[in-house]
Amino acid sequence: MTRIIARALMVVALAVAGWVGPATAQAPIESELALITPVSKFIHDAALKAFAEYAKEKWNVTVKVSAIPAGTPLAYGRITEWKGKPDVDIFWGGESALFEKLAEQKLLQKVEISKEAWDSIPAAIGKPKPIPLKDKDGYWVGTALEPYGLVYHPKRIQRLGIPEPKEWEDLLQPKLKGEVAQCAPTRSSSSNATYEVILSMHGEEKGWDWLRRLAGNTGLFTARSRDVPTVVAKGEFAAGFAVPSYMAFEEKLAGFDIKFVAPKNAFVTPEPMAILAGARNPKAARAFIEFLLTERGQKVFMERGLFPITPRYKVQGAPGSTAELAVQFTGGVRSYFDQEVSNVYDEGIAAKRSDALKTKFRSDIEAKWDELKKK
Amino acid sequence: MRSTRLPLLVGVGLIWAFLILFLVYPLCRIFYDAVTDGAGRFTLANFEDFFTDQFYLRSLWNSLILGVVTVITSSALGIAVAFLLVRFDFWGRNLFSYLTIIPIISPPLVGVLGFTFILGRAGTVNILLLDWFDMVRPVNFLYGVHGVVLVETLHLFPMITLNVVDALGKIDPSLEEAAESVGARGWRKFWTVTLPLTTPGYIAGALLVFIWTFSDFATPLVLGVQDLLAPQAYLNIVQFVDKRIFRMGIVISALMVLLAVFFLLAARHYVGLKDYSSLSYSKIARRRLSASRQAVTVAFFSLVLLFAFIPYIGVTLASVGKGWSLTPLPVAYTIQYYERVIVETPKYILNSFLYSGIAVGICIAVGVPIAWLLGRSTVPGRGALDALNTLILAIPGTAIGIAYIRAFHFDLPGFDRGLTSFWIIMPLVLAVRRLPYTVRGSYASLQLVHPSMEEAAASVGASGMRCFRDITLPMIWKGVLVGSLFSFMTSLQEASAVLFLALGGWESITNGIFAFYIAGSANEAAALGVILILVAAISTILINRIAGTRMGGVFG
Repeated sequence: MTRIIARALMVVALAVAGWVGPATAQAPIESELALITPVSKFIHDAALKAFAEYAKEKWNVTVKVSAIPAGTPLAYGRITEWKGKPDVDIFWGGESALFEKLAEQKLLQKVEISKEAWDSIPAAIGKPKPIPLKDKDGYWVGTALEPYGLVYHPKRIQRLGIPEPKEWEDLLQPKLKGEVAQCAPTRSSSSNATYEVILSMHGEEKGWDWLRRLAGNTGLFTARSRDVPTVVAKGEFAAGFAVPSYMAFEEKLAGFDIKFVAPKNAFVTPEPMAILAGARNPKAARAFIEFLLTERGQKVFMERGLFPITPRYKVQGAPGSTAELAVQFTGGVRSYFDQEVSNVYDEGIAAKRSDALKTKFRSDIEAKWDELKKK
Repeated sequence: MRSTRLPLLVGVGLIWAFLILFLVYPLCRIFYDAVTDGAGRFTLANFEDFFTDQFYLRSLWNSLILGVVTVITSSALGIAVAFLLVRFDFWGRNLFSYLTIIPIISPPLVGVLGFTFILGRAGTVNILLLDWFDMVRPVNFLYGVHGVVLVETLHLFPMITLNVVDALGKIDPSLEEAAESVGARGWRKFWTVTLPLTTPGYIAGALLVFIWTFSDFATPLVLGVQDLLAPQAYLNIVQFVDKRIFRMGIVISALMVLLAVFFLLAARHYVGLKDYSSLSYSKIARRRLSASRQAVTVAFFSLVLLFAFIPYIGVTLASVGKGWSLTPLPVAYTIQYYERVIVETPKYILNSFLYSGIAVGICIAVGVPIAWLLGRSTVPGRGALDALNTLILAIPGTAIGIAYIRAFHFDLPGFDRGLTSFWIIMPLVLAVRRLPYTVRGSYASLQLVHPSMEEAAASVGASGMRCFRDITLPMIWKGVLVGSLFSFMTSLQEASAVLFLALGGWESITNGIFAFYIAGSANEAAALGVILILVAAISTILINRIAGTRMGGVFG
């Protein structure tokens, strides 16, 4: 309590003094680092903690780390509202298309990490459409790979008397009526990207038909994508659509019986990271990115159901370790560079129809959900 | 008296400055946003968009219906409970009378989560049903509008009870005796005399239930109901990407404020017309019930409270249960979630107490003088002061939060950052939002102090200040304390207003509950919820001890 008050007084004192700028201009990195991110606490807390330890060892700097958890749209909105005077240093996660939009508005600065770190990341992954893993102009860089797949509760599925789902189509079977949970694409980038995948697979018209049928089977549109694996893990709903692998894995680690599948064409995101223009701690931000790309940094991800962003490392650990559990959980994948990644998500098309997709979702699905459920 | 004139004027000026800066201005700012376009030109296009959009219109209509239905259901429950408590004596009456208040302290979000653990599709009840009757599909108790009504009713009926109990306590027994003397007994007396006399208190409670339900976004969102105004406002604002939809969120917030003001004025008009309750509490003779009726009454209370305590049971189980899924009760137990929220990240609890403490300080500094101005002074503008103070109760928390973001983002003179970048904005918004409780608590007790005592003191030469310190304060401190405790407890529970304002490191317990919940850790959210519930329960015991049954005045 007294420490908080002391800190509070210090903030006030600094504010009264007019905020004369960072006093530690000579230090290798600043002593603070703040993120805004849709990447869930499970991952961002671990990454920040690992970085704080690393900074203490390497430069003997105690970095005060913090994060504002926010869905991708909210994070994007707050960054634009800050208008170049951000309250945080780094934006992490979500669709790379949004990072391009921010760069256009001059709200990002180039990441400018070491050439070695930059070059360790391949330019793209996936066929027939490549998924860029870093920005060609240098405004963002991928940090880890993760598929958006589907989840289910094996006991609930068994009770419903159906085989365990493997492909997107399996979510449409009549016995799953009212049993599917999903987040609206208007609120979640994983949902938005997976809607985009369905549209690319089936074409606009048939794709929307497909999505309407999925809405007919949907029992709950959650407020956030993170809620989808939660309600499935608990057993409230039997299956969930468009779930990032690590979110499902987090439930598994928490002791729940939940399974994850990345069906064909599941979108693989590079979890982009960028430094905001006007960030108060640019050196710490850069150091954080470089740290995440080291083996030690990548391990934070590999032990939590994410995959390395570079071919240099593979998810591996002692038998029974969480890393091995993660490999098992995600269907035996150790690295996305070992295998052909099939991708139909086209960033150009996705960026172009992103608004239209959301508008159509509102008018054709959200507003008509009651009718769709009756079909 | 002349010497007190100048300080009085300065004081009044300061109070008005505070209210204008932190209440009137931010609210004006959202209305400004609602009637301008991106370039700041006046336009009504936003409202036109709203009123030509079928989905929004449906949301508006659904919200109104939901509010009305919840008022009806919680009134049926709340009035019955109030009547039994005030008029009859039965086994366990005191205990029930205390327990009845408890549902109201259920923190936002955690309450509905508690319901899902017990009544959800995979909740305890459904699991038992599935096992006993070998069903394939669970019964849908919660997901849908019916679930929202259930959750809100069981949460809010005490609001009605408290106000009706308060009003019943003020009825002059002679009126009912008069009714009996002309032959009106039983139901007839109840309908024609008792009920109308409790109307003002009842209306105040009903209005709060209506506005609460109308502006609650967390419950419908958890239960998957999105075609309501409050969730729409929240969802539209939370997505910042599409500027047009964002603006619609602001428009909806502005509309909700307008509607709340409208209902408030309507209620005041009605209550104003029929305000024939007397001020003093009268002694009520309770009728002892016969043994069989006692049994029925006790069974009724037990059932109501069992339902109303569902969220607490669910949250408590979730806070200690590990991997609880598809079993009636958790199979593995742990205290790791409490460790995480108390030992590893104590900031939520520390921040909450710090902010609520500062907020109550502000509430007392501003609220007690307001109560004094309302009850004792002849300063012009008291009507407006009273109206503003009541208005606060009616404004949805989300609207205030948004208003603050919009209004205080500009750089403060001398700083390169706005007020929204300083944590002091958190206690500020809490103070403004919880001010009415302190004002009402203080005002109510001021009314019980006859001015003649102060006059007597003044006549023997006590100055204004001295008179206040030696005569008024000792007599009203209880009321101030009750009001402040209430402000404190409700500040701790405030979620919607601070949800958008918190930056990293500033999170309160309710922010933490949301953060854990949206991070998928419902268990940690539950653990924080239990802590909040305990603190609130202790505050309620204190309030109850100090204030007796007279809490209704604080709510109304």
